[in-house]
Amino acid sequence: MTTLTAPRASGRSSVPTFRSRATIGAKHSAPGALSLVAMIVIFVIAVANQPGILSVYGLTLMLTAAVPLLLAAQAQMLIMSVGDIDLGIGQLVGLVTVIAATMLTTDPLLGVLALLAIVGAYALLGLLVQKRNVPSIIATLGMSFVWLGLGLQLLPTPGGQTPEWLAQLSAWRPDWIPAPVVWIVAITLVAWFLAKRTRFGTRMRALGSSSPTLSRAGWSLSRTRVLTYAAAAVLAVLAGLVLASQTQSGDVNSAGNYTLMTIAAVILGGGNFKGGQSFPVGTAFGVVTLSLITVLLGLINLSSSLQSAAQGLIVLAVLAGRVITERFVR
Amino acid sequence: MTQVTTLAPPPASSGAPHGAPSRIRVRGIVKEYGVTRALRGVDLDVAAGEIHGLVGHNGAGKSTLMRILTGIEQPTSGTVEFDGDGAATAATSARPGDVRMAYQELSLAPDLTVAENASLSDARRLRPLRWRAQAERRIAEVLDTVFPGHGIELSRYVGELSMAERQVVEISRALCSDEPRLLILDEPTESLGVDAMRQMYAHLHVLAARGVSILLISHRMNEVLEHSDRISVLKDGATVLTADAGDVTEDDLLVAMGGDVRGDSPRVHDVPVVGDAVAGSGERPAAGETVATASLAGASLPFEAKAGEIVGLAGLAGQGQDELLDRLWFNGLSRRITVPRRRAYVPGDRQTSGVFALWTVADNLAVAAARQLARAGFVSLKARRTLADRWVGTLSIKGGASAPITSLSGGNQQKVLIARAFATDAPLVLLNDPFRGVDVATKDELYTLMKAEAAQGRCIVWYSTENKEVAHCDRVYVFRAGRIVSELVGDEISEERVIAESFDEHQDARDARDATTKDAGAAA
Repeated sequence: MTTLTAPRASGRSSVPTFRSRATIGAKHSAPGALSLVAMIVIFVIAVANQPGILSVYGLTLMLTAAVPLLLAAQAQMLIMSVGDIDLGIGQLVGLVTVIAATMLTTDPLLGVLALLAIVGAYALLGLLVQKRNVPSIIATLGMSFVWLGLGLQLLPTPGGQTPEWLAQLSAWRPDWIPAPVVWIVAITLVAWFLAKRTRFGTRMRALGSSSPTLSRAGWSLSRTRVLTYAAAAVLAVLAGLVLASQTQSGDVNSAGNYTLMTIAAVILGGGNFKGGQSFPVGTAFGVVTLSLITVLLGLINLSSSLQSAAQGLIVLAVLAGRVITERFVR
Repeated sequence: MTQVTTLAPPPASSGAPHGAPSRIRVRGIVKEYGVTRALRGVDLDVAAGEIHGLVGHNGAGKSTLMRILTGIEQPTSGTVEFDGDGAATAATSARPGDVRMAYQELSLAPDLTVAENASLSDARRLRPLRWRAQAERRIAEVLDTVFPGHGIELSRYVGELSMAERQVVEISRALCSDEPRLLILDEPTESLGVDAMRQMYAHLHVLAARGVSILLISHRMNEVLEHSDRISVLKDGATVLTADAGDVTEDDLLVAMGGDVRGDSPRVHDVPVVGDAVAGSGERPAAGETVATASLAGASLPFEAKAGEIVGLAGLAGQGQDELLDRLWFNGLSRRITVPRRRAYVPGDRQTSGVFALWTVADNLAVAAARQLARAGFVSLKARRTLADRWVGTLSIKGGASAPITSLSGGNQQKVLIARAFATDAPLVLLNDPFRGVDVATKDELYTLMKAEAAQGRCIVWYSTENKEVAHCDRVYVFRAGRIVSELVGDEISEERVIAESFDEHQDARDARDATTKDAGAAA
């Protein structure tokens, strides 16, 4: 005990090696690995059914719908990493498509202001959840009706016209690589960097994991939650813009199923409801899996009325598998 | 008690020893929460470079005082001054980074890595890019300096670390910043192993020599006496004694903390008979009947617990005692463990897995006994009330049965948790180090309760990190590296013996040899 302040004789430092880091990281994200497996299995089945998928064009077609869903799912992932949940994201994305198809075309400045106002509203929502202890599930569910109402007011029936520059966005289709893959990788990298590599991401997870720790360390809980909500809102707005650029029109109900799809994607990707963890890469796997399921069910000519039931069953099966793998890993 | 001790309130002249100026000067701190007065006027002086011990029962106001010193809360009246830079009003003059604290209940986020946790509370600037590597280097430096050979991976998530490792991380986290003017350690050694404990105290003396003031809060009187320069005793929200550590004995401190805490308190001999409270809840095994068995992997002695005995699980913290308790509690499908159908469990970590924070004392107490209190699926409110009142009376739980559980002090909450387990008719009661941070008087009451319960045929399996507690057990299993390495019965049970068994390296070698000979014999 007397060699206390002397330099360590062995010279071995405690800074982790690459190998231990990789082992721990792999163990940590093991729950999401199953979603990767499911994704590959479904992809293989789909290719076996329809070999045409295995082309740049086929992949583009199959994954296009995954891009806006991924943006929304990463937004959901951020909110879930602070231990909250967003039940209004589907309507919000729908409202953004409406804004894109109306105000953004007729009066771009007003349109941009409206989109910024959405981000501001989300920041306020975060403040409300933090300061007034309103459960996020209630606050966001309530807001979903506000988004829906605003959307119906702006554009009662689907339609409208998206601006030219927005259409250009989804017109970009290189020959050598499926454009959605580029988008998916880029979006995932951004979310990964934000959640895992920035100091803000650390605070975000600390807020979800143990808020007293964060406040004792001298950080503002309100600020952290507000910034998280704002970041999620930015991603949701982007999701709406991408969706509008793909459909070239506005419809407040166009993304109604996003709310539950995004939650399913986060959970498939290894996330959970208690907060504190973030799995941006797993979420991407989850989104692609969900999109592939939709495509596959279409390919095997399952009657469309049964498709969502089948989709639900597959999701349940993957989640059950996840519970089992988790037990083995622990 | 010797003449040198000053009784409360210490006169202003009794500042720092040797005429050194006070680093921190607390005067007349009063803190009120509504009608309750948590602090009634605390005076405290800590000199630069002094290790100052602070002791007191649970509920004496230590936690409140710490919240004020760290600036989380403001006092109702009174002043806290740093280096005499004058705060005339009810406010502290501490600047951010002046005070660092290692919390008893640990302030680590389980979903963050060790390095991320440390970087959260580190006031120093980090470079914007590759900040994680920098943060890892900083905490690695502290860990390697203070706890050489700690073996903790910095990229591990704190939730996966053992309690002992988390405690090491918490202390290192507190030290991982600019050198503070005041370092507060709240029960730092509750779950530390012996080695880590020695390393920590050695480092505290190094820090003190560099001029850092240290406030050491602990229930372990011998540690406080050994390592402090001066000791203050807090009782009922006021300082009642401040003395040089050399001038007081453990008994002096215990007396100052609140009367005679030695010996069993008589009240508890009247333990409610559960079978009597809720008639017809038979299924109590006869004394001596085996209640639970377990065989652990590796060269481990078999575990067995009989009705009517208190079985201790001892050894260094985190050597597999938790795992055994967890498996006795919830076994899954393994056949290596037999347990009775009904069991009761008292967790050590009341914050996370103990109390229902929104419920009253009575609700919390009776929740596990609902089965006995129910007729045809409905809980009899009268029976529940009787049960709660009885236990509240027996254990003198302050606040009464209808108080919200969170209004109770930590020690009283722990009493409720223990009463909850004993209020059931479960033949097997599992205690997972439930007396962490509970004051001496409460502990004595609970020991007596356990003995009385065991005498009535209950089997109690008790994991304790405090070696002294093994004296209350009928049989003790000592754990080392996930295995039971020794079984102590009757007169063999002693603190010294447990410590010896916990560390005996030769024993390991002997065991291994025995195992190989046995295998060889079996093969032949």
